[in-house]
Amino acid sequence: MTAVIQEAPPVELTDVAKTYSNGTVAVGDFNLTVSRGEFVTIVGPSGCGKSTVLRMVAGLGKPTGGQVLVNGLDPVEARRQPKSLSYVFQDPTLMPWRRVLSNVMLPFEFTKTPKAEAEERARAALELVGLKGQERAFPRSLSGGMRMRVSIARALAPEPSLLLMDEPFGALDEITRQRLNTDLQKIYADADRNLTVCFVTHNLFEAVYLSTRVIVMGANPGRVIDVVDIDKSYPRTEEFRNSMEFVSLCDRIAKGIASDERR
Amino acid sequence: MIGIWYLAIWLFNIPRYLLPMPHAIIQEGIAKWDYLSHGTLLTFSSALAGFALAGVIGIVAATIMSQSRLLEKSLYPYAIVLQTIPVVAIAPMVVVWMGTGRQTIAVIAFIVAFFPIISNTTLGLTSTDHNLINLLELYSASRLQLLLKLKIPYAIPYIIGGLRISAGLAVIGAIVGEFVAGMGGRAGGLGYQIAESATMVQTTYLFAAAFAACGMGLLVFFTVNAASHFLLRNWHESSVRREN
Repeated sequence: MTAVIQEAPPVELTDVAKTYSNGTVAVGDFNLTVSRGEFVTIVGPSGCGKSTVLRMVAGLGKPTGGQVLVNGLDPVEARRQPKSLSYVFQDPTLMPWRRVLSNVMLPFEFTKTPKAEAEERARAALELVGLKGQERAFPRSLSGGMRMRVSIARALAPEPSLLLMDEPFGALDEITRQRLNTDLQKIYADADRNLTVCFVTHNLFEAVYLSTRVIVMGANPGRVIDVVDIDKSYPRTEEFRNSMEFVSLCDRIAKGIASDERR
Repeated sequence: MIGIWYLAIWLFNIPRYLLPMPHAIIQEGIAKWDYLSHGTLLTFSSALAGFALAGVIGIVAATIMSQSRLLEKSLYPYAIVLQTIPVVAIAPMVVVWMGTGRQTIAVIAFIVAFFPIISNTTLGLTSTDHNLINLLELYSASRLQLLLKLKIPYAIPYIIGGLRISAGLAVIGAIVGEFVAGMGGRAGGLGYQIAESATMVQTTYLFAAAFAACGMGLLVFFTVNAASHFLLRNWHESSVRREN
């Protein structure tokens, strides 16, 4: 009988808690396991601790209780591995003194990748997000949506297996946000289970549209109040956004959040 | 402006030795061109040397201090002391220690120009956008990489601000230094020439020398501005051309 090697899940949070030194309990008793190829979104009201959770997954902050594992390792260890994780902030976080292509090539400067290869992968990533032709532009001449695309291209260029996104479209207008949602889930679908995504948002429509699973989070302390599986094939269309199925899923999440706030 | 100058002289009958006419100043400048230009060049070279020294040492010191809280707390007080001592008090001291010579003037210019550079550079290095720091943390960046790829480029607008202030101060410092140092004749530089012509009530030449000093300050200012424009034109709010 052959031994089955159990591959570590991309993300595993066990009894995770985060209490700040002033006594605020940001997150309490949070459990979540993300399987390879999933698109998991954590949704909840502002201040519920969802960004805190995502930052702990990236290693930008340690839990005060419980354990966070990425690919079975401590996040700080895990992100040293090639093609491990990428993080997209709510702010595009571009270096304004560098051109677009140079910004997208930034991750490769820390992995000793040869310049030619780095440039090739950066250009491919820019084409993937629809910014072919903008390589020599400076960030200041781009719109908010375009800057966020550059930020996403930078995150995708190293071909990570895990993509973490912290309210990336929060600062954008509704039209741009929907366009980027469509583009993002197409990128996810094309990766064909090779990309795992952890997404954080307070917009529950966005959560339902994008994800395979939605974790609904309540505040004070931050913890899971509902888990919603969304069994809908990719790529998803505008039709899905207007369907009864979509509406009822959003309704379920909205009611969950509302009842938690009333408690 | 020049019209008002002439008008004021005519209207109030201002004597030549108090406020000369503009054309007289220019004539005087041309007549004594050799003396004037030599003095200006001497002062300028000392101011430039002091400014360059302040720039290099200031930026290096600020960078080193930014890497260690302990170093910052122990060294910064000295920089503050350097700033608060009045130049007219410290200039004679420097002359006593170093003797009379261009290097003395350069050191005096350095002392006045030093603080804005170290202060602004330190501010720039500690004001880095926190999200960008987090980003490089995610790439497991080393301290050196963080400094070279992020902190220093981010600090450039602040450094330029410091350089802009220091440029003018270095010129003033050089002139005041010459005033106080008392090196005479052709070795004196503009500061000495201003003191000399004031004492001998050669008001016209005084104005000519003062304008030369002014011109020198303007030259330095525009040079720093040009450098600022070159470095920042593509990305910093202060230099970018906007259509609205």
